[in-house]
Amino acid sequence: MITVEKLKELGCNTEEGLGRCFGDESFYLSLVPGAFEKERYENLDRLIKEGNMGDAFEEAHAMKGVLANLSITPLFDVVSEITELLRAKAETDYSPLIEKMWEVYTPFGEML
Amino acid sequence: MNEFVESRLHFKRKVMVVDDEEINRKILEKILSPEYEVILAENGDEAMALVRENKDTLSIILLDLLMPGTDGFSVLGMIQGDVELKHIPVIVLTSETTAEVQSLKMGAADFIPKPYNVPEVILARIGKTIQLYESIDIVSATQYDELTGLYNKDYFMEYASVIDQYYPDTGMDAIVLDINRFHVLNELYGRAFGDRLLKMIGNSVRGYIMDKKGIACRYNADGFLVYMPHTESPEKLFLAITDHISGELNDARMRIRMGIYPEADKKLDLHKRFDRALFACNSVKGDYSRQIACYDTEMHEQEAYNERLAGDMEKALGERQFIVYYQPKFNIQGDEPYLSSAEALIRWKHPELGMISPGKFIPIFEENGMIRRLDRFVWREAARQVAEWKDKYGIAVPVSVNVSRVDLMKPGFVDEITGILKDCGIGPKEYMLEVTESAYTEDSDRIISIVNELRTLGFTIEMDDFGTGYSSLNMLSSLPIDVLKLDMRFVRDIHENEKDLRMVELIVDIAKYLNLKVVAEGVEKKEQYALLKDAGVHIIQGFYFSRPVPDGEFEKFIEERKGKRV
Repeated sequence: MITVEKLKELGCNTEEGLGRCFGDESFYLSLVPGAFEKERYENLDRLIKEGNMGDAFEEAHAMKGVLANLSITPLFDVVSEITELLRAKAETDYSPLIEKMWEVYTPFGEML
Repeated sequence: MNEFVESRLHFKRKVMVVDDEEINRKILEKILSPEYEVILAENGDEAMALVRENKDTLSIILLDLLMPGTDGFSVLGMIQGDVELKHIPVIVLTSETTAEVQSLKMGAADFIPKPYNVPEVILARIGKTIQLYESIDIVSATQYDELTGLYNKDYFMEYASVIDQYYPDTGMDAIVLDINRFHVLNELYGRAFGDRLLKMIGNSVRGYIMDKKGIACRYNADGFLVYMPHTESPEKLFLAITDHISGELNDARMRIRMGIYPEADKKLDLHKRFDRALFACNSVKGDYSRQIACYDTEMHEQEAYNERLAGDMEKALGERQFIVYYQPKFNIQGDEPYLSSAEALIRWKHPELGMISPGKFIPIFEENGMIRRLDRFVWREAARQVAEWKDKYGIAVPVSVNVSRVDLMKPGFVDEITGILKDCGIGPKEYMLEVTESAYTEDSDRIISIVNELRTLGFTIEMDDFGTGYSSLNMLSSLPIDVLKLDMRFVRDIHENEKDLRMVELIVDIAKYLNLKVVAEGVEKKEQYALLKDAGVHIIQGFYFSRPVPDGEFEKFIEERKGKRV
């Protein structure tokens, strides 16, 4: 079960995220699971591995926006890093970053 | 407070959120819904469909830029490119500085950065933008003419002065367009037709000036003003309009006139510059061979002359420079013609300019409104003269005076005219009123009711210039008149043109049937006189008997009549 305390423990700026929701905790918590949908992270992983960097950028950018608005800081940081590399069309090895993304994702995914 | 106003002040404005991410849409909906009615779209295509559906009620659009399919830039481009939608402000939602700049350049009103600010900041930003655009809408609504979409006159003049300020060295043409007898067209074909015509003219004017850096407005219901950089071929504007509306112009009486003041003198007040274009425009009024005129030196001299006459009128009335002349009317029904009455006609004996023809000064006084003072002078003077002759010769010679539709429509007219007669000690049987046929074309019910009242009081009503207006036979039978006064153009060629003679005979027959007398004016020749007598015309007025003469000279006709003991 997802709680504000758990999110805070995992490094999320819940105060800021709640602030965007007029402090409505249940509303905020009703949105948060959407930011942890495993399919989206899997999709990003696949697109990068397939070398489809255009679609990968769009997906990463969209995820970054949601994570930012809900202030899921640890996941935002890593997805943001991936987004900026994809935007710059950087020819680099993304696997360490993808690995890091899954590492950060795991505790959030386990809450679902 | 008025219930409607209150409801308008408290109604929830409609905001649209376009974002492909459901979570982002929901956060914005949460922030906005206490103050706004929120509609949501999850992609560009859905957004465009909803924008079109809500175009008249949507206060603002919050638009995400990066979306799969039709993205935010495309949506922004479509909104800005659509005249029906571009008034709706768009705030873009973005985390990219470069995208912010690009979208502002494309016409976005503002941006909201992602991640979102605290709700209060977002609400304040949206509120300010809506307020700004609504103010712009109000200003726009007051700057345009609703019917044609051109500017209104006040805004046009203001804009023209700004053009002068920024482009002092660019030669500009001031142009006036006018439709002849537009009110008659409205009467004949209905207001919807008139409005359609004005819209078509407005569209052609706009189409023509658009790439020529010109501006235009509608003024005085059926006129248009154009201010544009000088061109050597202004007739192209005229042709653009007439080509566009030629299909509508089945009526040969419908004409457009154009007056141009080319490379208008910028030292002159803007209104004065358009007065000059109007002067040129009016110079072709009634001239069926020309429809376009340019203001030139000759017109400038004419205008200066007119201005002098307008300026001198007040003094002229005080110094009794205006003189009433009388043209005799002869009854020709018997073996020998005899004086039956007279028409009072104004003349101006100017101390420096000499005798001025009424054709020169009456149009000026009609335009500046002073004609009513002149009319009153004539009414009183004529009544005084009838009384004087009655006293001197013991017989009444009825005199007719001209009365315009403006006079008739003026509240208290009947009291005024009966008051004059009472002051002079004469009755309505000794005083006739000439009303032009065209006076009956507008507000005819009201005019008819006033003329009926005058007839009940005993006045004789002559319909002046009969044949120049648009009376139908049906209308003629219902008009309250006693005499038809044939326009002189029927009489002019009667001795040379069989058709004109037949026409006069026909009118006399109709008049007999309606129990009306017929007066023919402008009779100059013996042949005309003989033909009109044979046709059954009752009364003749014209140089054949006498030109209009001063009161003293007129007395010889009274003496003659007295001698004949008619």
